[in-house]
Amino acid sequence: METDLREDLLKAFEGKLNQTITMYLETCSRCGICTDSCHVYKSMPRPEYSPAARAEVIRKLYKKYFKFQGKLLPALGEARSFDDTTLDDLNRAAYSCTGCRRCMTHCPFGIDTQQIMSIAKLMLVVAKEEPEILSMLADVSISKGESIDMIKQGFIDGLKRLEKDVVKKWKLEAGQIPIPTEVQGADILYVALAGAHSIIPAAAVFNAAKENWTLSFFEAVNFGAFVGDPAKTKLIMDRIINEAKKLNVKEVCICECGTAFRVLKQMSGKQPFKVSSITQVHERYIKENKIKVAKNQFNGVITYHDPCQIARNGGVMDEPRFILSQLTDEFIDMAKRAENNYCCGGGGGLVAMGEDSHDFRMKSAKVKADQVKATNASLLVTACENCHSQLSDLNKYYNMGVEVKFLSSMVADALIHD
Amino acid sequence: MDTLNYIILVPMVYLSSAIFIAGMIYRITSIFKKPVLTIPLRIYPEKNPVWLYTLIDTFLMPQVFKAKPVMWYFLIIFHGSVFLLIIGHIELIQMFDIFQIIEHDVFLGKGFIGLSLFVSLLYFLFRRFTPQAKHLSVLEDYILLTLLLMTVILGSEMDWARTWFGFQEMTVEDYQTYLKSLLFFKPDISDVTYSGHSFMLVFHVFFANLFIMFFPFSKMMHAIFTIPLNKIRRG
Repeated sequence: METDLREDLLKAFEGKLNQTITMYLETCSRCGICTDSCHVYKSMPRPEYSPAARAEVIRKLYKKYFKFQGKLLPALGEARSFDDTTLDDLNRAAYSCTGCRRCMTHCPFGIDTQQIMSIAKLMLVVAKEEPEILSMLADVSISKGESIDMIKQGFIDGLKRLEKDVVKKWKLEAGQIPIPTEVQGADILYVALAGAHSIIPAAAVFNAAKENWTLSFFEAVNFGAFVGDPAKTKLIMDRIINEAKKLNVKEVCICECGTAFRVLKQMSGKQPFKVSSITQVHERYIKENKIKVAKNQFNGVITYHDPCQIARNGGVMDEPRFILSQLTDEFIDMAKRAENNYCCGGGGGLVAMGEDSHDFRMKSAKVKADQVKATNASLLVTACENCHSQLSDLNKYYNMGVEVKFLSSMVADALIHD
Repeated sequence: MDTLNYIILVPMVYLSSAIFIAGMIYRITSIFKKPVLTIPLRIYPEKNPVWLYTLIDTFLMPQVFKAKPVMWYFLIIFHGSVFLLIIGHIELIQMFDIFQIIEHDVFLGKGFIGLSLFVSLLYFLFRRFTPQAKHLSVLEDYILLTLLLMTVILGSEMDWARTWFGFQEMTVEDYQTYLKSLLFFKPDISDVTYSGHSFMLVFHVFFANLFIMFFPFSKMMHAIFTIPLNKIRRG
C-alpha cells in the first residue's frame, strides 16, 4: 500500500476514535456470544460472518497503530499492518454487515458492531473503494439540496400528477390541498421518498386526519449514512433540518425509511421540532380518533417485519402492532419479534447496491425467509422501503408465498368515514 | 533459589503493582481524554431506571443467559468466585468486620471457590478450541486463560492443603505476615519460604504478577469499561 494512502487511512481511523469506539475496541473478549445473533452467520455459518470477526478486522489494525500492546508484541493480538489485502478485508467486513445491531443486544459489553464498521466504511471512502453507487446517490441528494430552487417547479408539477390518486383514496373537503408544499408554520413536515408510493397513501391519511401538513422537497433516505461518510450524512440531513426550521414546523414525520428515521431522530441533536416516524403518527391518529380504519379488509394471516432502524434502534415496536390490531384479527408475530427480530438482510446500503449485492442478500437472509414461512402468513407487512424491497426479493427467491405491503399503504387503503 | 524466591515474592510484586496502577491510570485517562460521541447509541425498548438496568446487564448478563445459558452459568460462577477471592485475599492482609457478616474462616469458601474457578477456567479454555471460538481467538486469549489457570491451581492447592488435608505449616498468620510486610514496605518472606509448600506460593505469585502486569494492556480492561458501555446501550 502506498505511504500517502496509508497515512490518509490512519488519519481517518484516528478521527473515528472517540471514547465510545475506543472502549468498544478495547473491551471485546472474543467470547463469540454475538456470533449466532447475526442473520448472516445464521444463514451462512462461516467464521468471518461473526460480528466479532468483522470487528477484529478493525481491532487488529487498531492494535498495530494505536495500542502499546500491538506495537510491542504484535503477535499477542495478531496486530496487522496495512497491506494489499486490507481494503478487501475491510470491504468484506463492512458490506457483510447491515448495521442491524442485533449482536449488540446479546453482547455482554453492549458493543455496537455498526460503530466499529463505520471505521471500515470511512476508510473505504478515503481509499475511494466504497460501492460507487452509494456515493453517487449521496452526491445526487447533496446537489439537489444545493440547487433546490432550480428543481422546485419540476417537483411541484410532478406532485400535480399525483393529486387525483390522493383524492381517489380520500375525498377532500373544501379548501384542502391534496399535497401541500411550503406551508409556513405547518404542524407536520412530511419527508417522503422519491416515489409516488411514498407520497400518495401518506397524503391521503394526513388529509383524512385534517392535518396541517406540508410535503418536503427532499427525499428522506440518507445515502451518506449507508456509505459511511459523516460529512455527506450531515449535508443530506441538514437539507431537511433547514427546511423544517425555515417553515417553522412543529414535527418532522419521516416516511417508511429506517435509516432516514434513525439518522434524523438520533443524529440531528437538539432541534426545535419533534421527529416521528409515519407509523407513530398513524398510531396517534387512530388513538385520537382522527382517522378511522376498517377492520378485516385484508384477508388471511398477517405478520409484521420490524425494520431494525425503526424498532430495535428507533423504539417503534408497539405502534405498528397497535395499528395492525385495528386492521385485522389475524395478526401473528414472528417467533423472534421486535428488538429481537432478525434483519431482512437489506440494510446498510445493500439494497441500494442492487444486483451487485443480490446473491449475498438472498443467501444471507435465509433465516429471515424461514422466520416468515414459519408464520404461515399470506401478508407480510413492514414499515421501511429497504426492508420492503429486500423482502419482496426474498419472497421471489425463497417462494415465501406472501404479499409484501407497506403498513402506511394499508392504513390508507382501510380509511373509512365516520 | 532463595534469591529467585525473593525476586518473585518482593521486587516483582512491587514492579507488577506499579505497572498495574500506572497502566490503569494511563489507559483510562487516555481513553477519557478522547472526544465524546454525542449521538445516542441506545437499544430499545427503553427501561427505567437506566442505572439499574445498566447494573443488571453488567453483573447478571441477562442477554448471555438468553443466548448461551451454559456459558452464562460459567461466567456467573467465574466472576462470582473472583469477587469472593478478592475478599479472601484482602482478608489475608487484614480482617474486616464487614466481610464477616456471614461468619467464615480465612480463606473463605472452604476450598470450593478455587475449585469453581478452576472448573470455569477449564471450560473457558476448552471452548477456545471449538471451531466457532477458535477462529476468533488470538494468542492473548490463551495466554490470559493460562496465566489465570496456573495462578488458580497453585493458589487453590495451598488452600486445599490447609482446609482439606490439615496442612498447618503455612498458616493464615504466615501469609498475613508476608503480605503486611509488603504493604508497609518492610518485606519479610521468612514465614512463607521455609515450608515444602513454599514453591506453590512462589509460582502462584509469579503467575499472578505476570497477569497483573498484562492486565491494563489487554482485553481485561473490560473489567472497567463494561459499566459505561452498558450504560450507553441503555441510553
